[in-house]
Amino acid sequence: MSFQVKYFGMLAEIAGLSDEVWNAAGGLTVGQFRAQMLDKYPAMRDKKFKIAVNQKISEDFVLIETPAEIALLPPFAGG
Amino acid sequence: MEKAHKPKKVFVQGPISPDFVAKSIASHQSKTGIGAHAIFLGQIRADQKEGGAVTGIDYTAYEEMAEQAFHDIREAAFAKFELTCMHIYHSLGLVPTGEISLFVFVSSPHRRAAFEASEYIVEEIKANVPIFGKELVGEAGQHVWKENT
Repeated sequence: MSFQVKYFGMLAEIAGLSDEVWNAAGGLTVGQFRAQMLDKYPAMRDKKFKIAVNQKISEDFVLIETPAEIALLPPFAGG
Repeated sequence: MEKAHKPKKVFVQGPISPDFVAKSIASHQSKTGIGAHAIFLGQIRADQKEGGAVTGIDYTAYEEMAEQAFHDIREAAFAKFELTCMHIYHSLGLVPTGEISLFVFVSSPHRRAAFEASEYIVEEIKANVPIFGKELVGEAGQHVWKENT
């Protein structure tokens, strides 16, 4: 399966890009995706962030169903 | 049933000018059911950081999700408080220290609803809208990422 991943704020800085296509073998939960992502970008391990699936902040047990847009959201700073 | 409120454009590029705020106030003079406006303006503070003072904040957002979050906040505020109208504007891009990055403007027949709604809306924005802020620090081009508390 493959899906779109978007990075924001300090996470885009760490990844060096603001979006990419993620390819995975078989189905993935949000938690499994998080683990793969931290393997690819170890510098994100000590950063706080939430994961949104199709613009909804999602728990680790949620299964990612394609087509999906995943976003990694660091702490909010509006205002 | 309350009338549905159309999604409105919230984001503006760069600082929000005092002139824009003044014109927004003036445009409500024909709405004579209003007895109270409450306005909240967020201004960029020159916090001291390692490396110098904050000179500005460069804002980015997950825009589609943020627009929906603003819409949800508007709907919730209209449901909770007796409001005649509501306007929310937030900056994207660079806002220098001392300039305005958030403009919340609520109008009601009476003051209590206006006061309470403006506080509610600002707190909701800070907690629930995916906006990110890079604080630019000092002269050497350093930065730190802002985090709402």
